[in-house]
Amino acid sequence: MDIYLPIAEVSVNWPLLVLLGATVGFVSGLFGIGGGFLMAPILIFLGIPPSVAVASQASHVVASSTSGVINYTSRKLVDYRIGGIMAAGGVVGALLGVELFRYLRLLGQADLVVALSYLLFLGAIGALMLYESLGQILRRVRGEVTPHKERRRPLWLYGLPLRMRFPRSGLYISVIPPIGLGVFVGMMSAIMGVGGGFILVPAMLYVLRMRAQVVVGTSLFQIIITTAMTTVLQSGRNQTVDIVLSTILLLGGVIGAQYGARLSGRFRAEELRALLAIIVLLVGIYMGLELFVRPSDLFSFAPGVAQ
Amino acid sequence: MMQLPPPPPAVEAPAPQRSVDTTQQVRVAAAMTDARVMVDSSFRGASIVLYGAVFNPTDTPADVVVVVRGPDGPVRLVKKTRNTGVWLNSRPVLFEGAPGFYMTASTRPLSDIADFGQLRRLGVGVDHLRIAAPEESRTVTRYGVRDVVVSRLGEDYLDYRRAVIRLREAAALYNSDPDGVQFVDQGLFRAEVDLPAVAPTGQYFAEVWLFQEGEPVSVSNLTLTVEKVGIERDIFEFAHRRPWTYGVLCVLLAMFTGWVASRVFRRQ
Repeated sequence: MDIYLPIAEVSVNWPLLVLLGATVGFVSGLFGIGGGFLMAPILIFLGIPPSVAVASQASHVVASSTSGVINYTSRKLVDYRIGGIMAAGGVVGALLGVELFRYLRLLGQADLVVALSYLLFLGAIGALMLYESLGQILRRVRGEVTPHKERRRPLWLYGLPLRMRFPRSGLYISVIPPIGLGVFVGMMSAIMGVGGGFILVPAMLYVLRMRAQVVVGTSLFQIIITTAMTTVLQSGRNQTVDIVLSTILLLGGVIGAQYGARLSGRFRAEELRALLAIIVLLVGIYMGLELFVRPSDLFSFAPGVAQ
Repeated sequence: MMQLPPPPPAVEAPAPQRSVDTTQQVRVAAAMTDARVMVDSSFRGASIVLYGAVFNPTDTPADVVVVVRGPDGPVRLVKKTRNTGVWLNSRPVLFEGAPGFYMTASTRPLSDIADFGQLRRLGVGVDHLRIAAPEESRTVTRYGVRDVVVSRLGEDYLDYRRAVIRLREAAALYNSDPDGVQFVDQGLFRAEVDLPAVAPTGQYFAEVWLFQEGEPVSVSNLTLTVEKVGIERDIFEFAHRRPWTYGVLCVLLAMFTGWVASRVFRRQ
């Protein structure tokens, strides 16, 4: 039941990969996220070289996001205008990120940056999300009313030039914050192999203050463009995309995502968020641990230039 | 019954073609069950049997040592050091060339067969394999990254060298088996060459040495080709020759799968 992956140059058990794809797909459907942050660490754990894992699973994110965007489009819940602007930033970010990642790999520092990014971003987002969702659950249990959120928009964000109207998101803001957000997420997508949904969704909700209904669909649209760009660039510049690996992951992933999405209706939103926060936090800590634990071997191979 | 392997080329002066029974010289000849190893989608490593014979055995006990070397390639290593509680990688150091695969199989432990100097001179044994390193330390800059080339005379040369060997041994790429060569009959021996799934593709060289009283008396050279075949080769070559087209195709495939999935599940 093993299959040899032509680019990763290792042999892996393919039913295990299908199962992994399905599990991550299920999680992504359940929480409405890409699931890249979960997939890359598991692939690395299974012995796939990190650079191949990060690059190949980006196309898994493309597939699951495409599926999602089609669903949201049919319900008119995608703002293509702001999504397109963010995606333009995302393409620039992906270009920068792939070049940066290439340089870091050659320097032998890619592991460090990947571990640090996971620890910082996943740790911070996970902790914030856990705090917020637990607070909401506690208030519900105690029977308190959720305090009304102040809807005042931050001045620094709305004072910027180049304002544009985004009717579907209910916004009239400068294009600079969405572009900046896109660039940032694009770089993360190249370095961490993630879609960036776990950063995009809170940023669109709490910083840009978009209408909540269009946030998930729009973030998925921007994720497709960014990760598609990352896949092409990783393949063109680094030749690290393994089509066999990504196809196997896809097969399980798209099916898992559909079942996850169906089940998500049975849970309360804050309970789902608390669960997701715990997963995000654990992955962040797991990836960051290698920075602090004495390695079993002080030496390791750095990816070569002509290998 | 036994088919004689084709006479292998000698490593030193080309031995004249002599028929087996007229010569009085001790000679070793060997062949492998496969001269080509195909790496396809079901590849999980390969085991190749090397068999051979010792001709004109004398009363002096003889030992057989099989050495298989994979294609040489540069090796880059980083060392983790602890800085303020965090483990960080050092600047990469570069070995100019180390075999991608190396194994020895012998009838006895190598140190019993020949002495240190002899093994070192022939490059036989994991401890003696040749890893190219210049005499003076220097740096090379490639793609904007400065690598320190490991010098043969540097003080940490041995640490890095041992690390390469240790890491490759852990990946089953370097291996030494002191009981790997077995005599199955008078003068007839066999050894197994185990290639792991991560073995590099390319040309492999096998040497079969015959030792008597610590001296090499005969050698037989063989080659082995490990290559990707079938769809694996096509994908690998496509990904390296037309990387941009390949990337676009990957994306289209992913989008198509996502679209199909959403169609299929909406109908249900």
